[in-house]
Amino acid sequence: MKLYGNKKTALLFIAPALLFVLLFIYYPIVQNFFMSLYRWKAFGEDRIWVGLQYYRRIAQDPVFYTALTNNFLYALISIVFQVGFGLVIAAILEETFFRRFQGFFRTVFFMPSVISITVVGLLFQLIYHPSIGLLNNFLKAIGLENLTRAWLGESGSAMYAIIASSQWQYIGYIMLLFLVAIQKIPKELYESAEMDGAGAFQRFIHITVPQVKETIIMNSIITVIGGFKVFDEVYVMTAGGPGRSTEVLATFLYRSGFRNDEMGMASAIASIIFVITFVLTLVQLYINRKIAEE
Amino acid sequence: MRRKIALLLCLVMLTGLFAGCTGTDTKTQGSSDDITIKFLHKWPNQKDNDYFVSAIAKFEEANPGVKVSMDSAGDEAMKDKIRVVMGTTEQPDVFFSWSGEFAKNFIREGNVLDLTPYLEADPEWRDSIMMAGLEPFMEDGKYYGIPYRINGKFFVYNKKIFEENNLSEPKTWSEFLSVLETIKGTGVAPIGLGNIYPWAACHYITGLNQKCVPEDVRHDDYIRETGEYTDPGYIKALEHFKELNDKGYFQEGVNSTEHNMALEMFYGEKVAMVYVELEEFGDFDEKFEGEWGFFPMPAIEDGAGNQNFLTGAPDGFMVSSRSANPDEAVAFLKFLTTLENSSEMVQTLGWPSPVEGAVNSENSPASLVAGLEAVSKAEGMALWLDTDIDIRISDVYLPALQELLNNDKTPEQIMKEVQEISERIKAE
Repeated sequence: MKLYGNKKTALLFIAPALLFVLLFIYYPIVQNFFMSLYRWKAFGEDRIWVGLQYYRRIAQDPVFYTALTNNFLYALISIVFQVGFGLVIAAILEETFFRRFQGFFRTVFFMPSVISITVVGLLFQLIYHPSIGLLNNFLKAIGLENLTRAWLGESGSAMYAIIASSQWQYIGYIMLLFLVAIQKIPKELYESAEMDGAGAFQRFIHITVPQVKETIIMNSIITVIGGFKVFDEVYVMTAGGPGRSTEVLATFLYRSGFRNDEMGMASAIASIIFVITFVLTLVQLYINRKIAEE
Repeated sequence: MRRKIALLLCLVMLTGLFAGCTGTDTKTQGSSDDITIKFLHKWPNQKDNDYFVSAIAKFEEANPGVKVSMDSAGDEAMKDKIRVVMGTTEQPDVFFSWSGEFAKNFIREGNVLDLTPYLEADPEWRDSIMMAGLEPFMEDGKYYGIPYRINGKFFVYNKKIFEENNLSEPKTWSEFLSVLETIKGTGVAPIGLGNIYPWAACHYITGLNQKCVPEDVRHDDYIRETGEYTDPGYIKALEHFKELNDKGYFQEGVNSTEHNMALEMFYGEKVAMVYVELEEFGDFDEKFEGEWGFFPMPAIEDGAGNQNFLTGAPDGFMVSSRSANPDEAVAFLKFLTTLENSSEMVQTLGWPSPVEGAVNSENSPASLVAGLEAVSKAEGMALWLDTDIDIRISDVYLPALQELLNNDKTPEQIMKEVQEISERIKAE
C-alpha cells in the first residue's frame, strides 16, 4: 500500500522518461558543444581541432549582432502586440455588447494562425510588393505617397515588415488563450465592481488583468521563446536579405551549417542560442516565482 | 506483487519507446534477392516526377532483379538535402548535382564514383554526350558525372515592343544600353528582375565576370586554393550591373520582387525583357506564343574575357563512391541518357538535353532548338557563379549584390569583402 511513498518505484516510473530526456536532450547539448570545437563537414570524414576559433569569429561577425538585434526586436514587438493588444481585444470581445458577435470575430482573428507560414510568406511578399502590392497602393490612395517604399527590399524596413506579418498571424492565437482565461473569471467580481460604480476601463485594469496574470506570464514566455526560435517567416519572405539585414539566429545557424557546410560554426551558434534562451528562461522562471509568492 | 507490476509496466513503456526507433529499414523491398538502387532527383512536382516514375518502370522491366527507389527535393531544398544525406548511410546511389564547384566539393571528399572506366568501356555512350555538358563534371581529367540537362541564360524580349520602337537584338553592351534607354522612354520598364533571392543578380554577374575578367585569371580565382579576386574586371562587372540599376532599367523594387513575379510582369507587358534560362522557354511558348524572341548577354566591347561564351551550365547525375551496386547504378544512368529516352524526356518535359540529336525539330518547339544551337555554338560556358565558386564565398558575394542594388555598398567594398573571405578560406 506504500506505492505513493516508495521512492524506488517512483524512480522506476520516471526512468523511461528520464532516460529519454537525457539521451535526446542533455546528451546532444553537451555533444553539440564539443562539436563546435572542431572544423568538420556533414559528409566528410575528418575533423580538425580549432578550439574556440568559431566563437571568436562569431564575436567579430557583424551578422551575428544583426541577428541578435532582430531576435530581440521580434520578441519585444511580439510581446507588445500579441500579449498586450491580444489581451485588450479579448477583453473587448467579452464585453456585453460584443459578446453577440464574439463567435464571428473570434474566428476572423484566429484564422490567420492556422494558415501555413509558407502561404502567409508568399501572401505578404505580394502585399509588400512596391508596385503591385496592396500596401503601397493603399498608401497612394489615401495620399500618403511619401510613405511608400519597397518594404521587403530595403534594409531599413524589411525586418519590421516581417515582424508585422507575424503579428497579424499570431495575435488571434494569443487572444484566444486570453478569452478562455477571461471566461473563467467569476462573473460576481464584475457585477460587484459595476455596483460600486467601476467603468469598463477600471474593470479591465482591476479585475481582468490581475485575474489572468498567469496567462499573461505564460503567453509572454510563448512569444519570447517564439521570438528567438523564429526561422520560417524570415526564410520564406527574404531568406535573410537584402544583404544580411533580416538575418536571425536560426537562419544564421542554418546558413552556416547547411549552406556553407561549416558544421562546427553552426554548432557554435547553436551553443550560443542555447545559452541565450536558457538565461531568458531562468529570468522568466524567477519572475514567475516572485509573482506566485506575492 | 505491486512492485513486479510496476517493473513490468516500466519495461512495457521502455520497449514502447524504443519500438519506434527500429523497423524503419524493413520497408518492403520486393524479394530478398533484388538489388535496390536509391535515386535522388531535383524535380518533385507532379509532371516531372511522373516522367521519372515511368522511366523507372521501364528500366525495372528491362532489368529484372533491380529495383529503383526514388526520392526528390526541390531546387533550394536540394542544396541542403544532398549535403546532409551524403553524410549518412542513407546516401543515394545515383543523385542529382549541379556542375562546377558544387559537384567538385563532393568529388574532393571522395564521395563520387569515377565514371571514366565506364565511359571508356562504352565510347559510343561517351561520344553521344556533348562535351560542353561533360566537361564541367570533370576533375583531374576524369569524368565524375553525366549531364542530364544543359542550360543557357538568355534575355527574352517582347517582340511587339521591339518592333514598335524599331529596335533590333543588341550585339554589344552599348547597343544594349541604347535599346534599354529607348524602351525606358516609352514608359515601360525595360527589364524585369526578381532579386528577392539573390541568385537572380548572381546570374548577371556570372556572365559579366566572365566577359570582364581574363579567362585564366578567372579560372584561378574560382578555385578555392588560388582565389584572389584582385583583377579590376570584377569591379567593372559590378559597375556594369549597377549602371543598369542606376539608370532605371530595372522595374521598381528589384529586391522585393520574386523571379516568378518578374515573369508575370513580362507576360502582363509591364516589362519588356526578362533574363531567363533555356529550360523556361517552354513556359514562354505556352503563355506568350510567337510574341517573343531571345538573345544572349551582349558582348562587352573592352571586356578582357572571351565574348563568345554563354552563361549557363549542365546539371546531371553522379554515382556515390560508396554505392553497393555501382554497375547497376551506372546502368540506370546510362538508361536515362540513351538517345531514345532522352528524346522522350525532351518531348515530355521540354528540357534541353545534352545528348546529341535528342532535341530536334520533331519533338521540340523551334525556340528550344534555336536556344540549344546557341549553346552548342558557344565557345564555352560561364557556370553559375553560386555553384562555381566556394559556397562560403558566394555566401558573401550574393547578398552583397542586393546591397549593391540598394546603393548600400559600392563595387569596391563588395570585392574587398570577397577578397577577405577568399583569404580566410585559403588559410584553412
